[in-house]
Amino acid sequence: MRRKVYTITLNVILLLLGIITVYPFVWMLFSSFKVNKEIMALEQHLLPQAFTVENYINMNARFNFMRFFANSLLVTIVITLAVIYTSTICGFVLSKYKFKGRELLFGFVLCTMMIPWCVTIIPKYSMIQKFGWLDSYKALVIPAMFSGFGIFNMKQHIATLPDEILEAARIDGANEFYIFHRIIFPMAKNGISSIAIFQFLWAWEDYLWPYLIISTKEKQLLAVGLKMFSGQYSTDYGALFAATAISIIPVLLIYLIFQKQFIAGVASAAVKG
Amino acid sequence: MMMKKFMAVMSAAAIATAALTGCGSGSQGGSGGSKEAANVPTEPFGDTIKYDPGVSVNDGKDISIELWEWGSDELFQQVIDGYCAIHPNVSIKLVNNPWEDYWTKLPLALDGSNGPALFNVHNSYHENLINYMAPLEIPLEDLEADFTGVEAHVIDGKVYYIDYGMMTGSVYYNKDMWEAAGLTDADIPKTWDEMREVAKKLTIREGDKLIQAGLNFNDDFHQNYLLGLNYQLGENLFLEDGRTPNVTSDAMKQVMQMLVDMYKVDGVGSENFGEKGPDSFGQGQSAMVIQWGHFYNTLNTTWTDINFGVFEIPTFDGNPYAYNRYNGESTFGINKNAAADQQAVAQDFVKYFLANDEAQVAFNLAMSTFPAKKSLADNEQIMQNPSLSVLAEHIDRYIWPGPMPSTVETSLKTAGQDIFFNGVDIDTALAAAQENIIRDMKSSSFQSVEHLYKYAK
Amino acid sequence: MFTKSHPLQSKSEILLRNIVVIGMVLFFGIFLIIPIAIAFAGSFHEWNPLSGTYRFLGIDNYKEVITNSLFWTSLWNTVIFSVVVIIFRVGLGLAIAYAIHSALVKYKSFFRSVFYMPVVTPMVAVAFVWKFMYNPQIGTINQILGLDINWLMNPKTALAAVIIMTIWKDFGYAVVMFMAGLFSLPADALEAAKVDGANAWQNFRYITFPLLKPMTLFVTITSIISYIQAYVQILIMTEGGPGTATYLSSYIIYDEAFVKYNFGYASALSFVLFVITAGFTWLSFRVSGTEE
Repeated sequence: MRRKVYTITLNVILLLLGIITVYPFVWMLFSSFKVNKEIMALEQHLLPQAFTVENYINMNARFNFMRFFANSLLVTIVITLAVIYTSTICGFVLSKYKFKGRELLFGFVLCTMMIPWCVTIIPKYSMIQKFGWLDSYKALVIPAMFSGFGIFNMKQHIATLPDEILEAARIDGANEFYIFHRIIFPMAKNGISSIAIFQFLWAWEDYLWPYLIISTKEKQLLAVGLKMFSGQYSTDYGALFAATAISIIPVLLIYLIFQKQFIAGVASAAVKG
Repeated sequence: MMMKKFMAVMSAAAIATAALTGCGSGSQGGSGGSKEAANVPTEPFGDTIKYDPGVSVNDGKDISIELWEWGSDELFQQVIDGYCAIHPNVSIKLVNNPWEDYWTKLPLALDGSNGPALFNVHNSYHENLINYMAPLEIPLEDLEADFTGVEAHVIDGKVYYIDYGMMTGSVYYNKDMWEAAGLTDADIPKTWDEMREVAKKLTIREGDKLIQAGLNFNDDFHQNYLLGLNYQLGENLFLEDGRTPNVTSDAMKQVMQMLVDMYKVDGVGSENFGEKGPDSFGQGQSAMVIQWGHFYNTLNTTWTDINFGVFEIPTFDGNPYAYNRYNGESTFGINKNAAADQQAVAQDFVKYFLANDEAQVAFNLAMSTFPAKKSLADNEQIMQNPSLSVLAEHIDRYIWPGPMPSTVETSLKTAGQDIFFNGVDIDTALAAAQENIIRDMKSSSFQSVEHLYKYAK
Repeated sequence: MFTKSHPLQSKSEILLRNIVVIGMVLFFGIFLIIPIAIAFAGSFHEWNPLSGTYRFLGIDNYKEVITNSLFWTSLWNTVIFSVVVIIFRVGLGLAIAYAIHSALVKYKSFFRSVFYMPVVTPMVAVAFVWKFMYNPQIGTINQILGLDINWLMNPKTALAAVIIMTIWKDFGYAVVMFMAGLFSLPADALEAAKVDGANAWQNFRYITFPLLKPMTLFVTITSIISYIQAYVQILIMTEGGPGTATYLSSYIIYDEAFVKYNFGYASALSFVLFVITAGFTWLSFRVSGTEE
């Protein structure tokens, strides 16, 4: 009986919290079907009084929204794949190989995680300019190819894999490249999932860097595109909300697909760390 | 198993992306092929500045340049289409950036070698751009003959851009509320005292609760009152050296005090009622706001239900040193680092733009700015816009301080917020603003042009 | 941590190791060390890329940072902001994760996904939505609570309002992290406690929580690093106002660097902030007492 009371109370509390969490999204979604006048009107209704899909049409016509979306997807996927690969291979070497300076190198990787964006972003920008990479995806992808966070996580994760497997493969005459690509990589899937989710989110959401680098409208990314709804004198809220509603979808999908492995991967990185 | 799924998803997404990217919109800068191949002018046109369509550009060879702007693509595209109809060998590609991003990215782009040959200018960002600009080739006398306010843009005998229009503030009032309060056209205030009385009549309260504000200046009081009414009291924004801010002047204090009194003594509004004055007016919650010309367009696009009128800004004594500050909407800048042939096209394009009355009227109407081109001061289309016609009578009594660094505005905004929300007294808040402006302007090359005002003391 | 070494390192192992080490050194050298060096040098200069100024100032920029009262205000705000958000993020995250994890809740992955939604939404958009919800006249929050508070313009509530929004956006991250932590706890420890007859609270206090310490530390440190750098919510919701009540340090840096183009001064600010971040991180390691 008491258990039942507990169960109900707990579930009700969670449900309430869930409603609080979701409400702004619901509001945003409904608002994306309102005209700007209604969004800002004194008389507020949750449901659109004059339902319109204008915002979704405008958003794509005026801001070429699907193009931004596709660009973001492309850049984010490339960065995510690159970071997964470099993190796994660095994590492998740092955790399974013994060599002089290994701890130093790892300590250094840890330190990189602590450096605020603001310290490096100005010189990084000047460098990219000197390299002539402005307005190209090179400038977005290459400086993001290694991640201290990713290496740290993968090192922790791969350290938990038993050495015996490596030994066995070596005895069978496998070389290290084979071992890494065919044995370690598949075994590290949980760690990889967690990095994939984090990295995807970060790259997807990153605002300042692409905003500084990309100037051609056709190449622009989504997170920056969202700011395009702010004009000199006013903001097109309806279109902004419509754009946001659509922009959340891929990240949510990535999360839903990988959540099981994500949870396991995060656990192995942080708990055993 | 899981890796397979992962790879499958990633590659499917990558393919989808590639497909989408591949068939996205092509270049949007239309070249010659404008939709209505309307009457392409063949005869020279313009006042003193004449544009001759018969002279070919870039020796008739194909050339393509970029024009960067924020805001309204259609407006710019119209001018580009008109120009390209005359010169089919030229293609001008519009690049639109949102307002804020524009100012971060444009200077950085101009710093490289691939910056746009033409870019839209706003004088509040003068200092970030001027080092990248090439002077106009049109003779100074010609510019001065056709346009007002050119003197203020002269730097060492050269002009880099001028204003095509002047924007300033006027009072927008809700006609329905005006009528409901028993007011008529005869009640339109000429002085601030009258204005305050009218505002009181327009205010509606239920007990202590404000239902309708007579006047609302929330969020942009610094723009519309603090940086303008000082001139009515005969005080410039900068001291004689043209650099030291003058925001602790008695005039500034008087204006600030008036704002405080209107809310706290007259009770015609509240800092907590209607987050932003213009929105609150649009929502039908505030009866009057002082807004700059752009508000006319906002009312006509967003707040279509509001039945509004416009009248000239009141004064303290009917005989002001200047009615208000104005700000210019600028002509395009030409990138001095662009290739010589591109620059030549850019120069030609600017000339076309200045000589072309149709473009001048279109731009001024779109921005609700008063034309700087002298011959358009009584243009019929311009006079039909009430936010412009109210300015006509005293248009020479508006003053431009020059391209002030944005810190002047933001520091005064902070001061006002400190006074209204944080309980700071007026003297302290303005002194802090003064100090802040001086600090931020240390490395600025700004020089006030208030002494170039026609009635300067 | 000990890795069994085998006597003969194969050629491919040396090759792979060299590739990786060289790759890492090159990458971090070019995109981290060199920029830091440039920024450090720049912090001693008057540096404005637009006017092309690069003039040696000595420690003037740092002096100005130290004597600028706005910087100290912003730092204090940043500390309050970070500490409060982290406490709630960790506390709420832990509590909710524990609740979802318990046998009493059925739809675990549903709740987990719901709470994770704000995490994946771009901050720019979220900040706009919340700005609307905080509006004194038309905002949902006043309407639901029946209040008349000008949340973002009242110096008493403005920072709190931004904090609440940030907690809302980010607590889901902690929920997911702690669920991951709970998921991987050794079942035998919990079983043993049950046999001992420990009650739920004791169970949590003496068994689960200590086991979750590494995860708590992980969440805390990643939070410190990201909150000290937070500025987007301020940029959109308050622009530092009313007055200077909600200035955060990173917002000043953003403003100095990309609005005023004072790269030198911004760099000096960044380094001061960096030292402070490092200090806090070290402190949280100390407090948690798990230095390796």
